[in-house]
Amino acid sequence: MANVSTIGRGTVVRGSVRGDGDLDIQGRVEGSVVVEGELTIGESALIKSDVSARRVVVRGAVAGNVSADESVVLESGARVVGDLGAPQIGIRPGALLRGNVSTQVGGQGAGARPRAAAATARAARPKPVERPVAAAPKPAAKTDGLAAKTANGPRVEGNARKPPPPVVPSLKRGAKGALKRKGAR
Amino acid sequence: MARGSAARTSTQQTTGTSVLGKGARVRGRVQGSGDLRVEGQIEGDVTVTGDLAIEDGGAVKGDIDAASVVIGGALTGDVAARGPVSIRATAQVSGNMGGAEVSLEEGAVFSGRIEAEFELPAELTTRHKGR
Amino acid sequence: MAATVIGHGITIEGEVTSDEEVLVAGTVRGKLNVDGPVTIEAGAVVEADVGATSLSVGGTVTGNVNASDRVDLLAGGRLIGDVKAARLTIADGASFKGNVDMDV
Repeated sequence: MANVSTIGRGTVVRGSVRGDGDLDIQGRVEGSVVVEGELTIGESALIKSDVSARRVVVRGAVAGNVSADESVVLESGARVVGDLGAPQIGIRPGALLRGNVSTQVGGQGAGARPRAAAATARAARPKPVERPVAAAPKPAAKTDGLAAKTANGPRVEGNARKPPPPVVPSLKRGAKGALKRKGAR
Repeated sequence: MARGSAARTSTQQTTGTSVLGKGARVRGRVQGSGDLRVEGQIEGDVTVTGDLAIEDGGAVKGDIDAASVVIGGALTGDVAARGPVSIRATAQVSGNMGGAEVSLEEGAVFSGRIEAEFELPAELTTRHKGR
Repeated sequence: MAATVIGHGITIEGEVTSDEEVLVAGTVRGKLNVDGPVTIEAGAVVEADVGATSLSVGGTVTGNVNASDRVDLLAGGRLIGDVKAARLTIADGASFKGNVDMDV
């Protein structure tokens, strides 16, 4: 049986929801949601929380940031005030959003999952190349903690993400769009 | 020759579609009535009364003001549209989008802000009502 | 199938309130208040006071239980806390430690 959990329409959770497997929310959650699988926020859902999962599909209302390792999709009917962050982001016609959107790994704004964000941020930041340290075997020397560590070769993030796609130059401070609208949230 | 009035005119009734071809490059402001299809490069603000399309391979570095906007190429700048803004999978956009409706296809590279006018259900609003 | 299912891998820390049936196969820490039937499956861990119309315990519940109708503690189930219910069954093989008040 698929490992799907459901928070039904008549259910309200005030606190944190986390775990593995998929989660389907039709009710209300106030707090935080972090799941390893696919997160579906149903039409009737009211989420006052940052949410994060491998994939997120939103059809309901969210006041909070939405982030995912793979994709975030806002379907028609979705209403989100918050930032979106994922390598793939879809906003279908009919979905309403007010917030920052970033498809870049470790991008701005999105309250990314702590672990994933740390991993991707580290991968994105230019890292000094691991010099193959001559494994000078100095057993039991005092200052050894470091030598031992470098001798073994600290491992780069096992699943380091690919470097982010080339970035279009930085935001223009045009703000024309912002002026036309009646001011942000 | 109907000058596009400020009112939202039907996009069918255009004074023609202009095309900025692939090899073309404009530096400076672009303004006009009718629709514009950008296959080349524009460095400057673009204001058209009709629809604007940035094709895959085309690029605009500047702010855009149009009736509707379809982006399949590169854009660095803000968009103010009276109608829909559609960002295709081939697009690379960095800027803020304001339009009646903003849609984004998976695969697009996007960095910026999207501002739609709407209210969240009362249960989710805190102090300010998201004006 | 219950309208709300908290699956095996899910942990909720906080307050859960519902007016529909709830099935817990994962972990809930905090408060669980349901205006309906609650089932705590084998393997589930609930560290919370529980309110329900009826409660079936196959997993572990640590907290006080208040059921308007009935509480059934199944074989393999563990309940540590006080129970207030109109009806109560404790199966052979269940563990229970607490006070019982059936005078609802």
